[in-house]
Amino acid sequence: MTSVKRGGPLQGVRVIELTKVWAGPYIGKLLAFLGAEVIRIESDGSLDVTRTFGVDDINKAPGFMAVNPQKLSMQIDVKTEAGVGLLMDLLKESDILIENLRPGAAKRLGFGYEQVKAVKPDIICVSMGMHGTEGPLSYQTGYAPCFAALGGLSSLVGYEGGPPAGMNVRYADSTFGAVAAYAAVIALNHRRRTGEGQFVDVSAVESMSSMIGDAIMDYSLNGTVRECDSNKHPEMAPHGVYPCRDGEWLSLAVSEANWPVLLEKMDRQAWRDDSRFANLAARKANEQALNTLIAEWTLSRDAQAVSELLQAAGIAATKSASSVDLISDQHLWARGFYHDVTSGDGESRPILGPGWHMSRGADINAAAPRLGEHNAYVLGEILGLSAEEQEKLGSSGVVR
Amino acid sequence: MSALRGIRVLELSESVCGEYCGKLLADFGAEIIKIEKPGCGSPTRRFGPFAGNEAGDERSGLFAYLNTNKQSLALDCTASENRATLSALFARVDVVVDDHSLSFLQGLGLDPDTLANDYPGLVLCSISPYGLNPPDERRHAEDINVFHSSGWGYHTPSNAPVDQPPLSGAGRFMPSYEAGVEAAMCVAAALYDKQDSGLGQFIEIAMQEVLASRVDYVLGQMIAGDMDVSTERSAFDLFGPAGIFACQDGYAYIWMSAPAHWDGLRQLLGDPAWMASFPERWLERECTPERVAQCRLHIGEWLKTQNKHEVAEAAQKLGLILVAVNNAGDLMASPQYQFRKFFAELDHPVLGKVSYPTVPYKLSATPAALTSPAPLLGRHSAEQLAAWLSEQANTTEATK
Repeated sequence: MTSVKRGGPLQGVRVIELTKVWAGPYIGKLLAFLGAEVIRIESDGSLDVTRTFGVDDINKAPGFMAVNPQKLSMQIDVKTEAGVGLLMDLLKESDILIENLRPGAAKRLGFGYEQVKAVKPDIICVSMGMHGTEGPLSYQTGYAPCFAALGGLSSLVGYEGGPPAGMNVRYADSTFGAVAAYAAVIALNHRRRTGEGQFVDVSAVESMSSMIGDAIMDYSLNGTVRECDSNKHPEMAPHGVYPCRDGEWLSLAVSEANWPVLLEKMDRQAWRDDSRFANLAARKANEQALNTLIAEWTLSRDAQAVSELLQAAGIAATKSASSVDLISDQHLWARGFYHDVTSGDGESRPILGPGWHMSRGADINAAAPRLGEHNAYVLGEILGLSAEEQEKLGSSGVVR
Repeated sequence: MSALRGIRVLELSESVCGEYCGKLLADFGAEIIKIEKPGCGSPTRRFGPFAGNEAGDERSGLFAYLNTNKQSLALDCTASENRATLSALFARVDVVVDDHSLSFLQGLGLDPDTLANDYPGLVLCSISPYGLNPPDERRHAEDINVFHSSGWGYHTPSNAPVDQPPLSGAGRFMPSYEAGVEAAMCVAAALYDKQDSGLGQFIEIAMQEVLASRVDYVLGQMIAGDMDVSTERSAFDLFGPAGIFACQDGYAYIWMSAPAHWDGLRQLLGDPAWMASFPERWLERECTPERVAQCRLHIGEWLKTQNKHEVAEAAQKLGLILVAVNNAGDLMASPQYQFRKFFAELDHPVLGKVSYPTVPYKLSATPAALTSPAPLLGRHSAEQLAAWLSEQANTTEATK
């Protein structure tokens, strides 16, 4: 059994994480937030870039701390034979192994699925790769924006008639991690029912395609290749992001029923008689003129005030949130989405919570670990090694 | 063997987020009864893409995509005469998924506050834009609004042109798909717990929080005071020459951040003269806007003469991270997607035989499977309801 008891649906599940950067750590974070004990394997010799890049103190690396709360850190040099042996001992006491190393690296190092399965038959191995583990393109590598480009998602984000602009460069890793987390929990369900483990092979590129399934269906059904459409929506007009005072922006989506309401709030009732805007089809046909007129109205106004005015009338509108708006979002604070957690040193630090609340959820209260913070727990309590044996692992460079 | 075989899910959802959650569960063998309004059915039936671009009953590709492997029960769940039937179903099923408001749930006798008492074994999952108690100025939202309240909107695309509005993501429903994955993961985790405890629970998914949590690497640093916040649209950006460029036959994405990438580019281009004027490690140490602009100009000129798939293959072999910007047609033709069998064909009574995008994870023991096309409205009305209710009676009988 795991020692850290925070409740939650996955309490009692132990996850070993050999991951890097963001996507792999993100699945670990989600499982930890669901109550699993997630042990991140790290080593002095191959520290993750988020622990080290541009960082003063590897134990307080901002990027690492943002993505790795509620985890444990255990040092094992898995590039040594003894290190792999130690990892295997730990996997015998674990339920899930997550890795997002280069394709084939886990196997080469000695902890591929078949190798782990030999010592722990019901292990669940989750392998994450840009294109999955096998196939004609699986040799290719890339970072998050490559996933979005290859998966068909970037081609849909951009200004009408122009080249694709793609999502913000940060998009893709966390979505890939979330998709993998769902698959891992499905595998846990199967194991609890049957005792059988399995190999879970997740593709980052396909994860992106799954975010645009209906656009792919359009091609499948009609051969239509969708292109960048600014912020247009085939079923709504107006639908877009409009400029407001002081460089702010308003997102607005108006249903057919709300069109006359919008005109009333804008004090533009005369447009009701304008044949260009008579119904959705007409507004779609004259969308550019429509958007220009709406932008003329919003431009001199305060985005938050307009949003409140329209919301009060039942219209879907929000100010487009900058990073200043985000960290001062009172709703997110009130719901506890932003909340403090405590490090092993007793320091308090705010983190982002998950996208859910569960009535029998886990307590999310621990900050990201210092490097090797839980070596003694793992070696002593999980593996039952004596102080002397632990010492030996340290001095021989296996635990470092 | 399906991981969720025998799990019963009642789907009250009428939007993309909830229907996608149900679809993900149905992929693994859960039995999903979709409750639809008699006569008109789910609103997603009236959204495109339509087969042959012709709107009509049972012609929605969106509905067909979101509702594979489900059964459709035509039942007005708001009618008082159906209250007893629904109560009996709530007591019998494992999961209810909904994407309406709190008052809708309470009207059906599903009160989150008393759920544990009323239906102790039920997992109730609610998905909504801002949670079930939104502030007044967030009562109405479409996907574009959620996207823009999460930070992704304001910061998309990267390197945004200042005179153009921020964008709303790829396609119409990215936020809904993200929330659907989160919901399915939480439901699967709650089912895992229920196998052991016999207890259900209430899960509340707030789409804004799902999306904001997907940018934890950045926003987590901002909330902790480790990264600057501002009203700049570039606040999430990474700087450098990376980006999308036009090719002869479409677009390609190139990532460059390390000397190895610069080296790969030199080899690929045959050591052109312009590269000689750049310091060797400029990407890491001297990445000035002028150099970025110059580099982008040269790369752009050259890529214009290339074919996207061929140049990507050549680049990858040299360690340069360059990939094609794929569209839906490219995905269908992708040898990698074919190898992983990402597309699966289903025969729908009205749409006929069509290829559907499937899932980004391959589970070795319990693969996801598309077994039946989306149901015609009310297709399963009598049979399933009778079966479920009679099993209810049997269970009651057996426990006496």
